Amino acid sequence: MFSKVLSAAVYGVQSRLVQVEADTMEGLPSFSMVGYLSTQVREAQDRVRTALKNSGIYLQPKKITVNLSPADLHKSGTGFDLPIAVAIAASYGMVKRERLENTIIVGELSLNGKLNAVSGILPIAADARKFHCSRMIVPCQNQREAKAIQGLEVIGAGTLKEVLEYLQSGKTPENPTEEKEEIQTERQVDFLEVKGQETAKRAALIAAAGFHNLLMIGPPGSGKSMIARRIGTILPELTLEESIELSRVYSVLGMIPANGSLLRQRPYRAPHHTITARALCGGGHVPKPGEISLAHKGVLFLDELPEFHRETLEILRQPLESGEVQIARAGYQYTFPSQFMLIGAMNPCPCGYYPDLSRCQCTCTEVKKYLGKISQPLLDRMDMTIEVSRVPFLDLEKESSGTSSEQMRRKVESAREIQKRRMLDRGKLFNSQMETKELEYFCRLDGKRTEFMKKAFDEMKLSARGYARVLKVARTIADLEGAEEIELKHLQEALCYRSTVHMYWKGR
Amino acid sequence: MDEWLWMCSLPGFYRKDLERLLQFFETPDRVWSARDSQIAVLPFLKEKQKEILKEWKRKKPSQIRNKTAESGIKFTSYMEENYPPRLLELPDYPLGLFYLGDLPEATERCVAVVGARMCTNYGRNIAMQISEELAVQQIAVVSGMAYGVDGIAQASCLKAGGRSYAVTGCGPDICYPRDHRLLYQDLRQNGGVISEYAPGTPVQPLHFPMRNRLISGLCECVVVVEAKKKSGSLITADMALEQGRDVLAVPGRVSDPLSEGCNHLISQGAGILTSLEDLRQHLGIAVKKVKKNKKNNIKLASLENMVYICLDFRPKSLTEIVRSAKMAPEQVMRILTDLQMRGMVEEISKNYYVLKK
Repeated sequence: MFSKVLSAAVYGVQSRLVQVEADTMEGLPSFSMVGYLSTQVREAQDRVRTALKNSGIYLQPKKITVNLSPADLHKSGTGFDLPIAVAIAASYGMVKRERLENTIIVGELSLNGKLNAVSGILPIAADARKFHCSRMIVPCQNQREAKAIQGLEVIGAGTLKEVLEYLQSGKTPENPTEEKEEIQTERQVDFLEVKGQETAKRAALIAAAGFHNLLMIGPPGSGKSMIARRIGTILPELTLEESIELSRVYSVLGMIPANGSLLRQRPYRAPHHTITARALCGGGHVPKPGEISLAHKGVLFLDELPEFHRETLEILRQPLESGEVQIARAGYQYTFPSQFMLIGAMNPCPCGYYPDLSRCQCTCTEVKKYLGKISQPLLDRMDMTIEVSRVPFLDLEKESSGTSSEQMRRKVESAREIQKRRMLDRGKLFNSQMETKELEYFCRLDGKRTEFMKKAFDEMKLSARGYARVLKVARTIADLEGAEEIELKHLQEALCYRSTVHMYWKGR
Repeated sequence: MDEWLWMCSLPGFYRKDLERLLQFFETPDRVWSARDSQIAVLPFLKEKQKEILKEWKRKKPSQIRNKTAESGIKFTSYMEENYPPRLLELPDYPLGLFYLGDLPEATERCVAVVGARMCTNYGRNIAMQISEELAVQQIAVVSGMAYGVDGIAQASCLKAGGRSYAVTGCGPDICYPRDHRLLYQDLRQNGGVISEYAPGTPVQPLHFPMRNRLISGLCECVVVVEAKKKSGSLITADMALEQGRDVLAVPGRVSDPLSEGCNHLISQGAGILTSLEDLRQHLGIAVKKVKKNKKNNIKLASLENMVYICLDFRPKSLTEIVRSAKMAPEQVMRILTDLQMRGMVEEISKNYYVLKK
């Protein structure tokens, strides 16, 4: 008898519907599986047979054929164990067919019939409506992840037996471990701990408000990493859509914690400078998301920027511009999201003290070589650059009087609301995402200010790209103050953050 | 004549090797026509040099001349008229000079301006002022075309309409450092690029002290703008003293490592350059009464003034300025940009500011 069960496979962070078909007929007893399967899926055969037996189901010897369709799509992963077992059970008539309709089944089987967790549940659950499915059966370890999607009926089961019982009689499996999810809201770090770096804190505030890339230049031990770590604490809350988008990436990598559902905090990723280009951007035989996708909607902090391999850095250029990475493999094009905020930190020279020539021991050539490792196109993509100097002892001793993360975040949130309202119909959330058209519209300057910017353009030798960056940053500064129009003072401040690293390049 | 060029182009042969060759053979054409067996027994040459010499002898002097001329490089031996006479005063004057552009004329006044590669903004400003003054007085600036003081001095002299000569530690066809391409081009137009090394000779560390003796040799006076304790500029100054040239040093602060060399020179009895007046007096230029610059009458608002007084001729970082002005960072940034646009302040490096003169 023929039967059909719905399941899904994950490609990149998207999912595709897969129909698991089974048929039993008279003939020599055999078990064959077709449908462009990887070894992992092919091995399901033994797991399914044994698990069925250990669940107390004895199959009459028949010729069993299983097909996973569409047959031209390569399938891998262990999530097909459960749908295959259910399809076979259905073809023996042990399951009510109408219950299989509009139901996606995913799960890995253990030999004793227990269900094991699989990765990539969230992308499937999020796409379920697209597949016209309203119900999903998953291992109970994964149920919270799937339940994060509203409007989807999720059945979490501990064993194959429970699944079959449910499909037969409609008895929902009981899950004893329905603990309340701990939502971490407490943060371990706070901007209050950063003392005496008021300029850098101001830059961090603006960067966070407009989601601008930020480059910090300063001697070792001046607190660049400390500031970077705290930028995550002042970023606005994730919206639900953002949270789902981000959690897809973590789900695919199996990085959603056990009994966790969605990621509620913006990620902060700080890979070491020895990282390879593939680990940073994603890759592999079956492409997996890299660090930049893990930092989606959050902070990617690259400390010691010039120490990174040149090709690793260059590869960042395209994702920075388009907000996604595309990796092509035979037969499939994978797209991973990568809208991250790049925070870079670097020393101005190998010893770190340039331009303080009474301490800097480097030669001209050394400084040039060091800075030359970062290409101009990459620098052009940094919206803001700021100098960070060492803090004198007096400031370190002072009782903290600066602003706290909480205060800063409130400012960021209000600026973000303004941006959202302004650009929602254009599908954009932050000023840094503005393009030429939006710039003309939202950053229009009146005669006097145009005159000022014209003068600045010539005097400070801005590039066209640099000019646009200054405007975007000025827009964010104005938003932080709640100002409707960009005023002169906003432009003046924004000009201070322009990228002038090229100054070091000149032979001086 | 071609034989001189042929001999001076010998790769791997320095001044002393050529001198010995001449002592033995007397004239360059006899070196060229020497037999291999003669060369093999020369006691003062290394085996490698003998090989090179034998190989080099296969080339005709006219061939070398054509090749050199093709690349636009000119050659002068010390026997010729346009050879700078001042160099002949040196005990180890080069036997020949390769150059692009021109050589300084016998009557042309030349002053060397040298200093550190990694110079401070102070050194930069002084070098510019001195060279501009020299350009106005129609005195040529001679230097080494290096990063820092050398290059700045030469570039600003040319910009002010003066002439300048660079002495390089490599063949004149090579632009070193490469970033100074523009300066190199300009020098060919309004001055020259001079070297005792044949075209194609790469830069080598040992060339620099030798080239320094030519910088001081070509000039009547050497001005050292900024120098560390151990530096090429001090070698130039030493050479200058040996050659009987005057040395003027620009003093700096005692604690500043980049002024240590200059202060040391002064303590050793070098001339001190505290103003352009000193320079003019030293060079015996009649001092014209120049009207004093009008006092800076720009009025600043009180907040701006608070930032302005925190600034210095020494570069200060934004963080430092914010700290001493005791104002909100955004306010300081606004004022700094404003002052910058009004030409009162210069940003010399990312968020490092100095007062502009």
